[in-house]
Amino acid sequence: MSNSSREEILHTIRKRLEGVGRDEKKISVDTKRNFRSETEEVQKLIDESQSALITQFIDELKNVNTNVIEAGGEEKAKSSLQDLIKEKELKSFAIWESQFLKEINLKQELKDSGLKLITAKNKNRIAKADIGITEVDYAIADTGTLVLIADKNQPRSVSLLPPIHLAIMRPENLARNINDLFIILKSKLEASEDITSCMTFITGPSRTADIELSLTLGVHGPKELYVVFLL
Amino acid sequence: MGFEEVRFEQDSEKALRNKSLQKALVNVTNRFRSARNKASEEVPDWEDLRTSARKIKKETIENLDKYLLILEESVKKAGGKVHWTKDAEEASRIIVGIAREGNVKSVVKSKSMATEEIELNSSFEDAGIKVVETDLGEYIIQLAGEHPSHIIAPAIHKTKEDISKLFSEKLGIPHYDKPEELTKVARERLRSEFLNADMGVSGANFAVAETGTIVVVENEGNARLTTTVPKIHVALVGIEKLIPRYEDLSLFLTVLARSATGQKSSTYVSFITGPKRSTDIDGPEEFHLVLLDNGRSKILASEKTRESLYCIRCGACLNNCPVYRKVGGHSYGWVYSGPIGAIITPQLMGIDKAPELPFASSLCGACHDVCPVKIDFPKVLLELRKNVVESKKGGTRVLERLGIRLWRFTVEHESIYKITNKLSYYFQLPWKGSNGKLNSLPYPFSRWTDQRDFPAVAKKTFRETWKEIKK
Repeated sequence: MSNSSREEILHTIRKRLEGVGRDEKKISVDTKRNFRSETEEVQKLIDESQSALITQFIDELKNVNTNVIEAGGEEKAKSSLQDLIKEKELKSFAIWESQFLKEINLKQELKDSGLKLITAKNKNRIAKADIGITEVDYAIADTGTLVLIADKNQPRSVSLLPPIHLAIMRPENLARNINDLFIILKSKLEASEDITSCMTFITGPSRTADIELSLTLGVHGPKELYVVFLL
Repeated sequence: MGFEEVRFEQDSEKALRNKSLQKALVNVTNRFRSARNKASEEVPDWEDLRTSARKIKKETIENLDKYLLILEESVKKAGGKVHWTKDAEEASRIIVGIAREGNVKSVVKSKSMATEEIELNSSFEDAGIKVVETDLGEYIIQLAGEHPSHIIAPAIHKTKEDISKLFSEKLGIPHYDKPEELTKVARERLRSEFLNADMGVSGANFAVAETGTIVVVENEGNARLTTTVPKIHVALVGIEKLIPRYEDLSLFLTVLARSATGQKSSTYVSFITGPKRSTDIDGPEEFHLVLLDNGRSKILASEKTRESLYCIRCGACLNNCPVYRKVGGHSYGWVYSGPIGAIITPQLMGIDKAPELPFASSLCGACHDVCPVKIDFPKVLLELRKNVVESKKGGTRVLERLGIRLWRFTVEHESIYKITNKLSYYFQLPWKGSNGKLNSLPYPFSRWTDQRDFPAVAKKTFRETWKEIKK
């Protein structure tokens, strides 16, 4: 890497911007907004309109070719999953080791029903898994978007390489819109210094319209997306 | 993409005669236009969003040096490496260097206009490194050895029959005629490329100074694969792609998806900050941000044209441009087409290389009306036209100047104006066609009538008709 290019580019920029009359002190990424209190306000509004938000979210999911399973509780969720396993003749699965999925002991249950567990450590193997199961860290009601955050228990490939992605989510993760979400994310960012290496927004299954504008699902990512909604 | 000189007039004539291209252009631009209109009308404060987006871009571009330094710091903090590159040659050299150092044999690429700009693929091939485009449209284009014709729908000029034939020839497979079958072939082929690749190269829609996050927006999932599966991830990002703060993303993602394809949200948006953390199970071990100048910093000088750098590459201006809708992307001669191509190509490559482009517009302003960052295209185009005329390369033609002078003389003298009106009615008669219009005039007017008819001069002038009516 040549350090001189860095200096040269910065020099050119400064020189070309000489006429702008910039206020040097004003340049900052800090907007002096209080994201913690904004988050509290947003959270209140979300809680007040939760049932309407859920309806809106489910409608939007369906608009983007997502299969929604409205499960009353965890038992219903598990039995819908068993139905899906039979219907699609699933033989293997990959799963997040996240807190809630551990609590409901889903991994063991799937193993007990004869499915082979595949870990995300080996890309070639996880690409062969029939289904990838994740949680949802957040969701956006007005666009039907799932938000997944990578960490040590939540590998990226589980929602990416298998042909079916199934996400289990609870209503408390729902934001009204993307503005809400970034207020919440920013206040978390300010509270801790860490930021994930990869956050992903997922709105429906993989799609393309590159051939004569004809919509085709499942070009690179999962062909099918299921959301199991724990009401 | 090889770039010698833009030949807009020549190439656009070719495009106008290509019947299947004309059909495809109508389809794609109409589809995107109506989707965008619907999606923007759904947002009650759409105009305010555009105003805010423009304000943030203005702030960023006018303080680009400061924000670039903040970005550099943030990327480093997240464990990534930052490379500054002046031009196409340096950017390619650095990226190929990263590949050599990592002992990379094959590279997967997700769609990126910046990599097209620096002709990265040919640099990899010269270095003996295999490189595969993975966006379906780009894959088709790469197999065909062509160039993208639309910013977000690169292969739109090809019919499914073209693609079927291409796949059959290049991949040695039977002819498939359904888009789903062709897509399935591409999925299988490219999946193994992803799993075997040592390096992924992406672009970025945004780079956030505050956090060092690069944001990649897509529908297919190939960008997720590119930035997740290979052990090295390189993001090539034009220095103008910066936005200051993390929360600014909510605004920009809202206007981008709706302006580009009319989706409320694109299928996948990846927010990547550095390489995988040591505790993460997957993701690339190395993250390199390659910042590309390539003429951008020079654009900053003029207050009138600086806003060209606000562009977020949504393609809405293409779909709404009456010129693009007829001549297609290839006529613009380089990676950027439509109104944004008409303003950015002459500025990045030098006005002498593309003097025709600022004139490839009717100045109707439809692009300005839909631009999510409100770039005032007509204003910038006029400024660039002025620059062309003032430079030696452009300038008005002798004949044109003579014509304008004659016109001025005529309209300044009423009696001459009246006589000219009468005379031109009789002079035109030999060329008047059966439809009452002029079908084939001699040079230089043939340049109009070769493509379309010219309305004939009426026998009676407007004034004469007016007088008659008043009687």
